[in-house]
Amino acid sequence: MTCTAKKCGIRLQPPAIILIYENEMKGKSRQRIMPVRNFSKFSDCNRAAEQLKNNPRHKSYLEQVSLRQLEKLFCFLRGNLRGQSLAETMEQIQRETTIDPEEDLNKLDDKELAKRKSIMDELFEKNQKKKDDPNFVYDIEVEFPQDEQLLSCGWDTESADEF
Amino acid sequence: MARDKANPCEVDQEKYDADDNVKIICLGDSAVGKSKLMERFLMDGLYPSSQPQQLSTYALTLYKHTATVDGKTILVDFWDTAGQERFQSMHASYYHKAHACIMVFDVQRKVTYKNLGTWYAELREFRPEIPCVVVANKIDADIKVTQKSFNFARKFSLPLYFVSAADGTNVVKLFNDAIRLAVSYKQNSQDFMDEVLQELENIDLEQKEEELPDQEQCGSTKSLPPS
Repeated sequence: MTCTAKKCGIRLQPPAIILIYENEMKGKSRQRIMPVRNFSKFSDCNRAAEQLKNNPRHKSYLEQVSLRQLEKLFCFLRGNLRGQSLAETMEQIQRETTIDPEEDLNKLDDKELAKRKSIMDELFEKNQKKKDDPNFVYDIEVEFPQDEQLLSCGWDTESADEF
Repeated sequence: MARDKANPCEVDQEKYDADDNVKIICLGDSAVGKSKLMERFLMDGLYPSSQPQQLSTYALTLYKHTATVDGKTILVDFWDTAGQERFQSMHASYYHKAHACIMVFDVQRKVTYKNLGTWYAELREFRPEIPCVVVANKIDADIKVTQKSFNFARKFSLPLYFVSAADGTNVVKLFNDAIRLAVSYKQNSQDFMDEVLQELENIDLEQKEEELPDQEQCGSTKSLPPS
């Protein structure tokens, strides 16, 4: 079956993941409601997302929906179950899915560091030119002249003795 | 030196004395992309790429590479950290016999740039003379940084490379330059510290030899009954 995912969202009460998709055969928008069961405010959003994505009944429909998006939707649901406002949940998601540039990653344990690395890997994979890409070039040289006219990176302090 | 001897590395480091063997070390904070840079460079397919060797005892990963410099085949061992960088300090054996250093920071994270100072100080403590290059990684995330100046490299007169392990910009150039620097360092100069340490060791041995007869005399005098 071929289906093109258009939108995916969550309904809080009763909880369900809702997918708007197009059935290519007919070119017509359809809606699929996938009830969320056994989910509490203590549940693991990542695991819930994985389970739904691998559910034999929904699997083929969710092929184009990323695990990360599903995980995020479950986070909205969990935030709601915890009595958080939408803004609070949004902020929490933001915090957990972006890198704080000021954070010293040397100070994190393995698990936390792995989390940050996986967030960074997302951008890496997006920009990555792989060896089997048709336009892959092994040796790419680009010159970036470092002359006096450059703006300072802003990370050097006035006192030159810092380093 | 003392630390070195107390913890012999499981890697045979004697081989780095051979003419066709060089050791290049990578330094920098957690998650700046050191391993990703290595992997990108070794994606060449010219040589059979061997799997990197994990040496867990020393928290390091060893990548082997074969290069050709001025017609000569050079065996390169790249030493990459595997977690130990978290303590912002590496074991002495990591620096031992290194011929060049690649120091990396992440252009998106100021703290990794600020910490270059700590890394550089430690490097110079063990290897005062080896060539060192500074690498600004992840320029794909923000290409505008390539139009900015980074004083750290300028201050210590170190070459600065703007690179991206993701899209490959300047990665091959960086590593080939580092290999070249390592080889020329090896050919042209003995590390001053090495010479000094070697001399100190020799003096030590000479002194011990001289001291031996003295000690015997000393012992014999002591055994004599007091007059």
